[in-house]
Amino acid sequence: MKRSPVILLLALVAGVAVFAASYVLAQRLCVKSVASSADDLDWLRQEFRLGDAELTRIRELHDGYLPKCAEMCKQIAAKKLEVESALAVSTNISTVVEERVMELCELRAKCQLQMLQHFFETSQAMPPEQGRRYLAEMQRLTLGFHEQIEQSMSHSADHEHGGH
Amino acid sequence: MTRMRRQNQLDMKPNNLEPDDARLGTLLRESRSSPSLPPRFQENVWRRIESAEACNVPVGDGNWLDAVTAWILRPRLAFALAAVLVLTGLGLGWNKGEQLARYDAQARYLTAVAPHSLR
Repeated sequence: MKRSPVILLLALVAGVAVFAASYVLAQRLCVKSVASSADDLDWLRQEFRLGDAELTRIRELHDGYLPKCAEMCKQIAAKKLEVESALAVSTNISTVVEERVMELCELRAKCQLQMLQHFFETSQAMPPEQGRRYLAEMQRLTLGFHEQIEQSMSHSADHEHGGH
Repeated sequence: MTRMRRQNQLDMKPNNLEPDDARLGTLLRESRSSPSLPPRFQENVWRRIESAEACNVPVGDGNWLDAVTAWILRPRLAFALAAVLVLTGLGLGWNKGEQLARYDAQARYLTAVAPHSLR
């Protein structure tokens, strides 16, 4: 029996194992060392290279915004329950269902506007260039999510129409 | 007559040497200085032998696997390959770890300021 293929295979396996072990070890060590604190604002500090003074101001804004955001979330959750209750007893779009859905949309719009206002205020507490970058990034991450869904839906709608 | 005597002297063999001549030969051999070896002579010899052996591995007869195996199992090459694999693994792993940590931190911030119902 030839030994060379076996030796080569073993060498290959050993190489893959060495590489994988180094990769996983370094990745875990890095995640552990970088994400050691559970501060919500860690990402802002690192990504936008904020100084202590800027971070303090942003933390004030953040702490002031969180209770308002939580209150909005509570109202939205309550309204969603109302919509579900109205839908449960309806077989069609009744006036009550329409009203509840409109109220839910209105609450969501208010919440979104409040969130955007917070993003503007936060961006103004940063150096101008970083502030612009933060604002663009937050718009992409929050409003852009809807755009992706709408685009994917319009694509699928095109396919549907094409099928007809 | 003189010519014949000279011819006899030229044809004289070593076993016909006188004891004094043998001693003279020994003295001459001893007096010959042996040259000193160049620095790292032995190491260079072994390196030449190793490289010659590596070059002499048969490749053309279709047994290329043996050639590759012999090449890979050379200690220096094996060590270098292992070092490259470890360093590459550490570098790529650390890079991926930084990306993951950044993504986690971003997700934590987004969860705090932009609830999922709005996204």
